[in-house]
Amino acid sequence: MSASTQTSPWPRNGAYLAMAAAIFAFPLLVGNAFHIHIAQTLLYTTIAVIGLNMLLGLSGQMSLGQAGFYAIGAYASALLTAKLGWPIAAGMLAGAALAGLAGCLVGLVALRTRGLYLAMATLAFGFMTEIAAQRWIDLTGGTMGVYGVPALDFGSAKMGKTYFLWVVGSVYLAVQIASDYVMSSRIRRKLLALKENESAARTTGINVPLWRTTTFAVSSLAAGTAGVFFTHQNAYINSDAFTLSLTLTMLIATVIGGLGASWGPLIGTLITLMIAELIASLYDVSFLVNGLILLGVLLLFPQGAIGLVYKLAALFRAPQRTGSAAVVEAAAQRAFTPVAAPAASGPTLVIENVSKSYGGVVAVMKVSLSVDRGTVHALIGPNGAGKSTLINCVSGLYRADSGRIRLAGKDVSTLPAHARARMGLARTFQNLQLVNSLTVMENLQLGLRSRRSIVGDFCAWLLSDAFEAEERGRALDILQQLGMAHLASAFPEDLPYGHRKLAELARAIAEEPSVMLLDEPVAGLNDREAQDIAGLIRRIRDAGTSILLVEHNMDFVMQLADRVTVLDHGERIAEGAPSEVQKDPRVVEAYLGAPLEPATLAAAETAS
Amino acid sequence: MSSANVVQLLLSGLAMGAIYALTATGLFIAHLATTRMNFGQGEFLMFAAYLSMALLLAGVPVLLVAAAVIAALAIMGWALERFAIRPLDRLRSLGGGQYSWVLTTMGVALIVQNVVTLLWGKSSQYSPPLFSSNRQNVVQFLGVGVFVEELLVIVVALAVILSFYAFLYRTRQGRAIYAVAFSPETASLLGIDVRRTVALVFVMASVLAAISGVLVGPIVTVQPHMGLVFTVKAFAVASLGGFANPLGVLVGAIVFGVVESFANYLNSAFGDLYPLLLVMALLVIKPSGLFGEAKADVR
Repeated sequence: MSASTQTSPWPRNGAYLAMAAAIFAFPLLVGNAFHIHIAQTLLYTTIAVIGLNMLLGLSGQMSLGQAGFYAIGAYASALLTAKLGWPIAAGMLAGAALAGLAGCLVGLVALRTRGLYLAMATLAFGFMTEIAAQRWIDLTGGTMGVYGVPALDFGSAKMGKTYFLWVVGSVYLAVQIASDYVMSSRIRRKLLALKENESAARTTGINVPLWRTTTFAVSSLAAGTAGVFFTHQNAYINSDAFTLSLTLTMLIATVIGGLGASWGPLIGTLITLMIAELIASLYDVSFLVNGLILLGVLLLFPQGAIGLVYKLAALFRAPQRTGSAAVVEAAAQRAFTPVAAPAASGPTLVIENVSKSYGGVVAVMKVSLSVDRGTVHALIGPNGAGKSTLINCVSGLYRADSGRIRLAGKDVSTLPAHARARMGLARTFQNLQLVNSLTVMENLQLGLRSRRSIVGDFCAWLLSDAFEAEERGRALDILQQLGMAHLASAFPEDLPYGHRKLAELARAIAEEPSVMLLDEPVAGLNDREAQDIAGLIRRIRDAGTSILLVEHNMDFVMQLADRVTVLDHGERIAEGAPSEVQKDPRVVEAYLGAPLEPATLAAAETAS
Repeated sequence: MSSANVVQLLLSGLAMGAIYALTATGLFIAHLATTRMNFGQGEFLMFAAYLSMALLLAGVPVLLVAAAVIAALAIMGWALERFAIRPLDRLRSLGGGQYSWVLTTMGVALIVQNVVTLLWGKSSQYSPPLFSSNRQNVVQFLGVGVFVEELLVIVVALAVILSFYAFLYRTRQGRAIYAVAFSPETASLLGIDVRRTVALVFVMASVLAAISGVLVGPIVTVQPHMGLVFTVKAFAVASLGGFANPLGVLVGAIVFGVVESFANYLNSAFGDLYPLLLVMALLVIKPSGLFGEAKADVR
């Protein structure tokens, strides 16, 4: 890429250094123990809020049980150190780990369900933890609490609070940096994809349940870490600290800061703590105030403090660079490269006797077909013939009731969609499954296979903001060949329909697939656009990719397809070269419903 | 456990189950039409219980109390939709994202809870009986002495639920709710006032919380923190039913109430948590609930 996108990582890294310096200097400059205490609280609460921000802002999962994980961390460390005499560090690590483990368990619900159920399950989890803390008095001491918890002061009464602040500050800074990496890397794209469009996520190779559960576990680990610090800051805990109010406070901080924004959690937590201090004397109406804040922020300032800052900043700043459009000229013309396809020719995709029914209604009945390497195989049939169902069975979004699907000789019938995608199976959708909160470029990047590990990617990010230059170059190559490089930084919703279709096709090309499933690629496009797509499909085919094409536009199908399979009522009624199929009387009947002379029908019967 | 005990526990369970069914049906109907619901449903119920208690103690006749509480909660339900949920449509994809409504309805719940503590204090209170002269009045049922209040709570709650089903399936307005649930755009093309229907389901949800609140007063202690308990349990019950089918909600609620009643008897410290744990485990095994079905957009 040209130098124009090489931006320095120093503003960002400089901010980290400044933050580190501030954390170091604060307790030395501010001798006041109370202020140091507040700063400690701010930093460890921010850790929990960062976790929630990732969970809610990126993966779109709502947790109403963060106080539960906070409590598990807090009690585990308190009990291990006070009752079993563990060293503080061991207790803290164990406490945070236990909270993460509890997150994995509750995350099992997240694994299987979405949205509302998770909100409900976490609300119930938080409720149960609260009850357990109150009533399991033998263990937790209930409202009397746990006594004898050691404070984390490194044996120095004088400097203890300062040391504690430095430790919390270091952990916070590490979490902040990790969060910033997540927010600017492929992890953000993956999480936004699975939040917004699960089908798109799965068919581009994202293991949706794994990512969902991992995010959940990470956010509970963050909450547990905060709870652990809380315990050893105060050297005493009781059950009053872990109510739903705590969860709501963290949610308020997340929302006030600005959801999904990097520095949002710190700013949001700061504002929330300040409000808490201000209304400490108004204890009787604290719920009222918190409720009004929630309503006020969500209804009046939905983008939170960060949103306000950006709005103000935009007033003073020139328009942002338009991103990669500036480096179009640098992209090289080259052919699309398929993923390392098997050297031997022969079928790359084989469908054997696949059946699928929905509660007694048969959608696909024992359909078999195979797609040879570097050919276009069209699947046609009237509406309701079962074409899309078959495509969904092949891509793995549906599990076929019976039959086998082989990809390059390997049986993939029982593999999930993301595993099939990673084996070189890409697809497009009839009704477009683009991720609308990602730019066209970022949608393409979802399709690209990264050549770096997460750790390598993180190191590259630390060194340069242009750490994805190579990937973006590849994406831009593809966009340029589709004539839409200038739209790289546009959002799909702002594009006309034809360009959105192209963008989805571009994402499939970015996957460098050995097999591509195209579900009605020219539906809703005009003739000229259809011709463009036809040319494109030929180039993809010539690069060695096998294509299974579903389409209603017969001119389009007949000029492109090497072979055609016709489905009607879920069954294969014909297969052959386009010219043969066109003449097949049963195909004509299926499409036009023309009554046939008995003789013609008999002739067709014997012919097949 | 004697057989008399079994009958008493069963009836207590049925009574609480009937209350859960009413509360959860409110969640179900709102979710059906809008995929949203009131996370403060329990707080609304709690407010209704307090209001009912205050009016009963002031000597207002029972039927009038019920009418007044229903009217008050209907207004609250309307205001909730109008001021805390509907404005979010305009702010789609901002703020709390697709779950902003969870936070705004919880915000309203906090306010309601605070208002209750300001008006009636923080301590637990006993609400006067609705149907007899004394909370502890007992009648013979299947040869066992059971509380009159519990018996009548079951009868009234079931009657309300049955008339709700009749409304949902037999009236034009009920079918309009199903049409909006299927697709708001299509419904509005068919001449259904979608906004009115959405407002109506929140009013209905709130009215169901009102009836639950009036009925629950005499069989539990009334306290400001009870809201969360009912919200959590109503959710559990509605998810058992898969949020798909009102009959599933009813069955789920009855099973939940009865299991809870026996669990409480067997383990007075943590018995009320067992049914919740069971529901969570069930959600892991069968995520769409007992009666729901999973759906995905894969066109």
